[in-house]
Amino acid sequence: MADHGAAKINHDNHLLLDQPLLRLPYELLRKNIRSAHYHIEWDTNAVKDLLKETATNSINQKATKEDVVNNLDQMLARMRGLKRKLSTYAEEENRLYRQSTARVAHLRELSDIHTVEDVKYETWSRQRLDRLIVDYMLRHGFNESADALAKDRNMLELVDIDTFVTMSKIRQSLENGSVQEALAWCNENKKELRKMQSNLEFELRCQQYIELNRSSSSTRLLDAIAHARKHIIPFSNTYPTEVSHIAGLLAYRPDTPYEPYASLYSTGRWKMLADLFTDAHHKLLGLPQFPLLHIALSSGLSALKTPACHSSQQNQSHQGQKPHKSSTPGPGKEESPEPRSHGTASLQTSVCPICSTELNALAKNVPYAHHSKSHLLEHDLMLLPNGRVYGRVQLDEYAQKSRLGQGEVKDLVTGERFREAELKKVFIT
Amino acid sequence: MASEKPKLEALEEEYLKIDKLPRLTKAVENVDKIIELLSAARDQVAAAPESHTAITITKLQNPVKTAFEAVNDGLKGAAAAHKKMGKALDKSFPLKPLPTDHDAMADHVPLINRAVAMHLLREGQFSVASTFISEVQSASKSEESADLNEPMGEGDDDGDEGMNADDAASTTSSENYDLSSFHSQELQQSFAEMYNVLQELKVKNLVPAIKWARKNAVELEARGSNLEFELSRLQFVWLFKGPSFNGLPDDENNGHSGALRYARSNFARFQDRHLKEINRLACSMAFAPNIAASPYKQLFAIDSAFSDVASSFTREFCSLLGLSAESPLYLAATAGALALPQLMKYTQKTLAKGTEWTTANEMAFETPLPESMLYHSIFVCPVSKEQTTDANPPMVIPCGHVLAKETLRKLCKGPRFKCPYCPSEGIIQDARQIIL
Repeated sequence: MADHGAAKINHDNHLLLDQPLLRLPYELLRKNIRSAHYHIEWDTNAVKDLLKETATNSINQKATKEDVVNNLDQMLARMRGLKRKLSTYAEEENRLYRQSTARVAHLRELSDIHTVEDVKYETWSRQRLDRLIVDYMLRHGFNESADALAKDRNMLELVDIDTFVTMSKIRQSLENGSVQEALAWCNENKKELRKMQSNLEFELRCQQYIELNRSSSSTRLLDAIAHARKHIIPFSNTYPTEVSHIAGLLAYRPDTPYEPYASLYSTGRWKMLADLFTDAHHKLLGLPQFPLLHIALSSGLSALKTPACHSSQQNQSHQGQKPHKSSTPGPGKEESPEPRSHGTASLQTSVCPICSTELNALAKNVPYAHHSKSHLLEHDLMLLPNGRVYGRVQLDEYAQKSRLGQGEVKDLVTGERFREAELKKVFIT
Repeated sequence: MASEKPKLEALEEEYLKIDKLPRLTKAVENVDKIIELLSAARDQVAAAPESHTAITITKLQNPVKTAFEAVNDGLKGAAAAHKKMGKALDKSFPLKPLPTDHDAMADHVPLINRAVAMHLLREGQFSVASTFISEVQSASKSEESADLNEPMGEGDDDGDEGMNADDAASTTSSENYDLSSFHSQELQQSFAEMYNVLQELKVKNLVPAIKWARKNAVELEARGSNLEFELSRLQFVWLFKGPSFNGLPDDENNGHSGALRYARSNFARFQDRHLKEINRLACSMAFAPNIAASPYKQLFAIDSAFSDVASSFTREFCSLLGLSAESPLYLAATAGALALPQLMKYTQKTLAKGTEWTTANEMAFETPLPESMLYHSIFVCPVSKEQTTDANPPMVIPCGHVLAKETLRKLCKGPRFKCPYCPSEGIIQDARQIIL
């Protein structure tokens, strides 16, 4: 439905897709501070204790000068280590603040734009699309493309390449059959994962156990039992059935046809783990589970789609003002029996985005937009004898451009000619 | 929403304030201080006689303690700044959860990849596009081999499980659209050509555009496009303005004589379609010394002419490729952002009621879009309030009113019906399907 209100930008609601833009650096800052806190606590306590001990010993004359110097050296080494670590965190913090400020400034530009028709809106919206595309590329692991696009568009501060590259490395290691990296990540985020009740660590531990079971050597099997005692049994209250399956696995060889053991041995588990990790990662950082572009597209395609976009009478659905041209070079489209039809007559025409090759097949699967009122692109409609309806103005214009004689009109789509007397007025209520 | 201090502005101000607060760097500075204290003490202990050790160490206690406190303060400062940021976000940019329970697009990644690749090409980002295409292709190759290795894919969002035959068919058909089947090379060449022409238009060189228009003259004319003539006319005016204006070499091919020459050799082909305009251009020659005061001055006002022809060139170029002039991906994403609030409102309401989105073909709610984003006429039957479709097409009845076929069927008593909008009556055989 078209109304002029629709062109107005509702600032409270226009940035739904852009929430992660500010939320992610915020979450990363939290994580950064937490890690810094951990290291400060750890090292300062150690140094404080050692200093106190040294002081007491030296007062009680239990420590020689050398002991004291040694202890001081130890403290210095610790503090230098802390400084190194802390500097990285401080740098990361500065980077995140820089990023946040740049992002807020980018979003804020929108508050000066009040309607979609504003030229500035197009610039802004294009940049948003670039962001969405980078996000899409990163989530599908096309990291190089994402990097290239972000650099080309000079918007590194507006996209989260580092976060996703780190993530995809861990994901890849899982896909290649290694749990170490993912376990390290679990360890870093232990508290949050527990809060989320994520089963990621449990599944990773199970995988380790499964891999130990895969071997036929008895020492490996003993290792498996030891591993299970240490890492899996603690979960037996949380995941009782899974743990009992895991325990039973000892009795089955990797080629067993019996469930659930066969699926436990399946290599498909690696992909499952990778997905599980991705899931936990996104949830932890407050990122949507799937690309933002998917959300934008599923809502946008429907909003733009009309029943005419996938009409079986492809050519027939096009209409003078903004028709779709059917001479698409796509497969199977040239077979229409008509002579190559020319969808448009007036210069001010453009192909509908849903009809255009890029999105046509994609939009097939989404519902079309709901309209409660007719919306006609042309006025003074005239019916041609072949059943097509065009606006008076468009017919006249086309007739003139086609150098037709007086009292003649030409179909804008099929090119058939008719006498004006054959036309009939049509009323749309 | 009366408090129209734009929230984003408030947020930006707040962020700038927070940016100035002390952060972890403060803590690092104090760690430095501790290192200084410790190493000074160490040197002192090492250099002084044994008896002084205890005093040095005892003296060290307090300054180190304060420095440690300062480190902690630095950390607290960072945490406080972070907390402030959170508050600012919650106040001015409150989190609204996106509809993430169902990803309708997950099954169509190949199609989205194609759309993205075409978008990049269309935007002239040829190198990014080729990186993207090769990354996509290598990924799909490795996926294929992975699929062979593992017969039981447990993939959750790949949708390759629990699919009925229908879905499976649509997936395979969509997979035919992967990147290898769309001729990226060809498309890239086309768009490269378009970019060249546009680049030249930017520096006011019409020649490549005219060449292209002439090459495609038949197609363009069939479309009723005047592009070639528009370009040629602009070229005439451009030459007419002379070297001082257009910066071209001052020879017989420029200036008034150049324009005349150009007109002589080029305008003949437009004679039957644009005789009037050509006459006007020719007549303007008589006023050459003082165009600005002549009745023809409008012909020579070409301030926006170059950007106008550039956009009509883009439109025609894309139309001949069967593509829309504006990037569909851009339009769809923008429309998506505009329509998303409605979608979220709807999902919230249905969630609250526990009902499901059952309309398969049509959205259940309106998503208003600006006028510029409507590309087809929409006919909603005035009686049934339904949009007409292939299955339920619009029909015109003898009095000229239009109704949906279904409506007409229901109106009929026997073969006859009465128009709901005027007193006339008709028989069903006289109603005709129309194409709007």
